Amino acid sequence: MIDSTAFVRPKYVGKPIRRLEDPRLLTGQGRYTADIQLPRTAHLAFIRSNQAYARINGINLDEAKTLNGVIGVFTASDFTHIPDIKAVSNMENYQVTSCPVLARDVVRYVGEPVVAIAAISRYVAEDAAALIEIDYDTLDVAVTARDALAKNAPKLHDKLASNIILERNFATGNAPVEIANAPHKVSGRFSLTRKTSVSTEPRAYLADYDVGKDELILYDSTNIPGIVRDEIGHLLNLNGNQIRVIAPDVGGSFGGKGSLYPEEIIVADLSRRLERPIKYVADRLEELTASSQAFGEEVEATLAFDADGQFIALDAEIIGDIGAYSIYPWTAALEPVQVASFLPGPYKTPVYRGRVRGVCTPKPPTGPYRGVGRPMAVFVMERLVDLAATKLNLSKVEIRRRNLVRAEDFPHRSSSGIVWDQSGFQECLETAEKAVSKLNLENRKKKSNKWIGVGYACYAELTGIGSRISVAPGMPMNTGTETASISIDATGAVTAKFGIASHGQSLETTLAQIVGEELGIKPEDVRIIQGDTAFSLHGTGTYASRSAVLGGGAAIKTSRALLIKVKQVAATLFNVDPEQVETGDGLIFVHNTNHAINFKELAQAVYSDMKTLPMEKRETLAAQESFDPFLGTTSSSAHVAVVEIDPETLVIKLQDFIVAEDCGKLINPLVVDGQVHGGVAQGVGVALLEELKFDDMGQPITATLADYLIPTSAEMPPMQVHHLETQLPPNPGGFRGMGEGGTIGAPAAIANAVADAVSHLGLCIDSLPITPNKLHALIAAKSKH
Amino acid sequence: MKPAAFEYLRPKTLADALAALDHEDAKIIAGGQSLLPMMNFRLVQPERLVDINQIEQLNQIEKTDTGIRIGALVRHAEAARSSLLAEHFPIIAKAMVHVAHVAIRNRGTVAGSMCHADPSAEWPLLVTLLDGEIEILGNSGTRSAKPFEFFLAPLVTEIEETEILTAIHLPLIANPCRMAFDEIAQRAGDFAAVAVGTLVCVEGNIFSEIRLCLGGVFDTPVRAFAFENALIGQPASVESIEAALPLVLKDLEPNDDIHASAAYRLSLVSALARRVLFDTIDEMM
Ligand SMILES: Cc1cc2nc3c(=O)[nH]c(=O)nc-3n(C[C@H](O)[C@H](O)[C@H](O)COP(=O)(O)OP(=O)(O)OC[C@H]3O[C@@H](n4cnc5c(N)ncnc54)[C@H](O)[C@@H]3O)c2cc1C
Repeated sequence: MIDSTAFVRPKYVGKPIRRLEDPRLLTGQGRYTADIQLPRTAHLAFIRSNQAYARINGINLDEAKTLNGVIGVFTASDFTHIPDIKAVSNMENYQVTSCPVLARDVVRYVGEPVVAIAAISRYVAEDAAALIEIDYDTLDVAVTARDALAKNAPKLHDKLASNIILERNFATGNAPVEIANAPHKVSGRFSLTRKTSVSTEPRAYLADYDVGKDELILYDSTNIPGIVRDEIGHLLNLNGNQIRVIAPDVGGSFGGKGSLYPEEIIVADLSRRLERPIKYVADRLEELTASSQAFGEEVEATLAFDADGQFIALDAEIIGDIGAYSIYPWTAALEPVQVASFLPGPYKTPVYRGRVRGVCTPKPPTGPYRGVGRPMAVFVMERLVDLAATKLNLSKVEIRRRNLVRAEDFPHRSSSGIVWDQSGFQECLETAEKAVSKLNLENRKKKSNKWIGVGYACYAELTGIGSRISVAPGMPMNTGTETASISIDATGAVTAKFGIASHGQSLETTLAQIVGEELGIKPEDVRIIQGDTAFSLHGTGTYASRSAVLGGGAAIKTSRALLIKVKQVAATLFNVDPEQVETGDGLIFVHNTNHAINFKELAQAVYSDMKTLPMEKRETLAAQESFDPFLGTTSSSAHVAVVEIDPETLVIKLQDFIVAEDCGKLINPLVVDGQVHGGVAQGVGVALLEELKFDDMGQPITATLADYLIPTSAEMPPMQVHHLETQLPPNPGGFRGMGEGGTIGAPAAIANAVADAVSHLGLCIDSLPITPNKLHALIAAKSKH
Repeated sequence: MKPAAFEYLRPKTLADALAALDHEDAKIIAGGQSLLPMMNFRLVQPERLVDINQIEQLNQIEKTDTGIRIGALVRHAEAARSSLLAEHFPIIAKAMVHVAHVAIRNRGTVAGSMCHADPSAEWPLLVTLLDGEIEILGNSGTRSAKPFEFFLAPLVTEIEETEILTAIHLPLIANPCRMAFDEIAQRAGDFAAVAVGTLVCVEGNIFSEIRLCLGGVFDTPVRAFAFENALIGQPASVESIEAALPLVLKDLEPNDDIHASAAYRLSLVSALARRVLFDTIDEMM
């Protein structure tokens, strides 16, 4: 008998439960796309353009075609049946680019695929590649965004009116006038160089076409399997029930696996044409030159404020170096437009003007990258805030405190139109400040012969965005809905299916915690199925810090619908009122009675034995519900970086990092910590190390990991993460998104810390990454004046 | 990034290895840590790989009449752990922590590093600083080379494709002396922007011997001879070092690349040279 006074229903949400996927992933039992071996697989290699902008005069394939082991060699003329990839948009002043799956007539960046070779192994495919000659006529081109903006700049796409493929203006009030009349202003020209996401697992695709069934399975290292299915279906003229996209274990994306790529379309198409499995696994060189890239932005901005440090107006000109094509499905607006819309940040800045232009350049397309737009927006704004504080001789914390939106101001509509609601803006700053005071930095400074600097950054982000707006500005695609299907099968086991696609977010754990808690079973007994289009009618995947809010919300709604059925069936069995039925820890029972069965017994009664329940009471134990938060939730955070710079070598060392964040209800503190740590690590890369460089001809000169430097554990400082649950948002579960925040705040905090450390030299830290080498150049330039 | 096809041989003796190398386009593979990336990029496409890892006598560290002999196949990690080296050349263990990461140090070899001849690599700098001899076996027997003869340019040495680097000899240093090493790389484990090693001997409060060797600065490791010559015979003091230091930078034209400009390298040379020299002085005084 279950005694109601003694029984406490176990809680799983909020508990630091160890990740359920870890035993698999940490012992080498994970199954990634490249691990999947199918008989008769043909392996693809691509020949990629070695020119930034050139006309293809001719391609000689003869020798390659006859090489032993080569199955087929393909160029653009073999794919005339596939329409070009086009990312459409509702934005005014947007020009669609046409991206052929293989370069046709012209190449537009070094790394663009030109020839696809299928062979019995990747080795043979690369041998064949070495036998192919492509004759190019180099074309004049503007490599930098600034040059490409010029009126008479050579156009990268003949058919477009200019290289400026998008422009958007934001205006609240009259910023130029307000700034002219303001007592104080600070300004700067800031830049964030191009980066790319470096996942442990490179992009990988394996298509398996079943001729008999006319059905295609695409194993795909992606975080948007639903979008891939829908668009490949469209491009290859397949119905949704003929194509199944499975994202098996995915070894990271960071945004880089969140767009549709020509290679996955080719893999799918060739599997049908050659009637055999086709596999393509990108190598590191291809990852660094032909996967989507990030940032590449320049912002000229001015912040005006009064004598108390109260912000009056903000003005910004934003140029985005968007690369050769507008990426599908997000469009090239994704990154730069969000710089403009998030620039005012969590502050009350009543007047704002922002103009953003996206410019085509002969470089790989830019796409999503953890944080999207906000790392740059926060970097610019937080640098301006620090400059303003310095100008007024105000503390860096005080100026932020005076301008951050306060609890009583929520909901607050920012001057760029974003509505902030119920988030601990002030509380995060306060917590961070307290943590800093415990570091005893004054003492540290006194004892050290190094330059020590402290940098703050506050930000807010919209996460778990609903269907009112798309996560990418102007993109005509609903990213605001998520559906869960949860069922109890004949053995009593619970399976929950989602359209999301975890690639490091621990969603197999957190969603199991939610479903387990709602249904009253242990999380480890819930199987989460995700990343497989066969199990979701519609689902766009995991990105934009959406899965905990949307997937978690759908999980709660669906579990509750299923629980009603469970209770109804049990009530019939127990001959009690459904309201009296309780569940917990795998049992279904009525308090203080002998009525208690487990889920297996329930399932048996419903599905298997033909006597216990009358036919009309044998309800299928399954439910499916969707959740759409319509708007979104406001996550916020304050980051603090402490750096130490060696005056002799200029080596920059991060000494401490503090994060105070409000992501609403924590589903699992371990997971939140992990996401923050990883996000901050990525931000450390943005701030101090990572930079994709191109020479004057558009040739990438950072094509290996010896030149494109990503942070390692040795570069990571000790980190404190403080969680605040100030006021929970009104969505089911009270969760907010937090997968990207670490990368949003860290670059700005580190930039401010470096600026603080070198403040006695009067250097402008306005471009990231800032490296010892660049510091040296800045100091040298200063001493020349 | 897959290598072109190659034939793979794994001789058990030096004689067999020499025979295997007697082929149009053969290449030795030791730890593979530098060669394989180059093969994967198809920057080198040897027809035949001669794996020398099975040859036993190549992985010893031994004391000889005149010094220490480090076998070709001694791994960076083994060198770092060797008590014999710690006793005579503690600088080696200090330098080894800067060579890449644990996994690479467990595989990469002394000879591989010497023959790969990266301008920033630690072994070439150490052997140059310690005035080592390079033992090379060819079809006509064993010969030896001095570092300044051996290293010709970045990634280029004078060793023939048919020869095997069998060992490094480091002569013992007679006088009581101190050694120090330091380097700056952008991340832990990266190739150094600048690496500096020094050896300082003091007798009767006079610098009786000074060596300063720079890595990462130029195409091959370079000794700061002008500086060394100016200091030898001077009173062993911080002041004498300071007075001579500008000579380290004199006529130095460092390499320039995306990670470190020539000017930044110059400033690092100056900072690190001072640092390692003062280290040795601190220890002695
Ligand atoms: C990520 C990374 C970081 C690294 N960082 C550093 C660093 O900071 N400092 C550093 O010094 N090194 C670094 N290295 C290189 C590493 O030390 C290599 O191990 C070393 O350069 C080559 O040694 P190996 O035994 O692997 O040689 P291999 O790669 O097998 O061979 C290298 C070359 O030497 C030739 N060769 C090898 N042995 C012989 C022999 N006995 N006789 C004649 N020729 C021979 C080969 O034919 C080949 O041309 C790094 C490597 C990697 C992958």
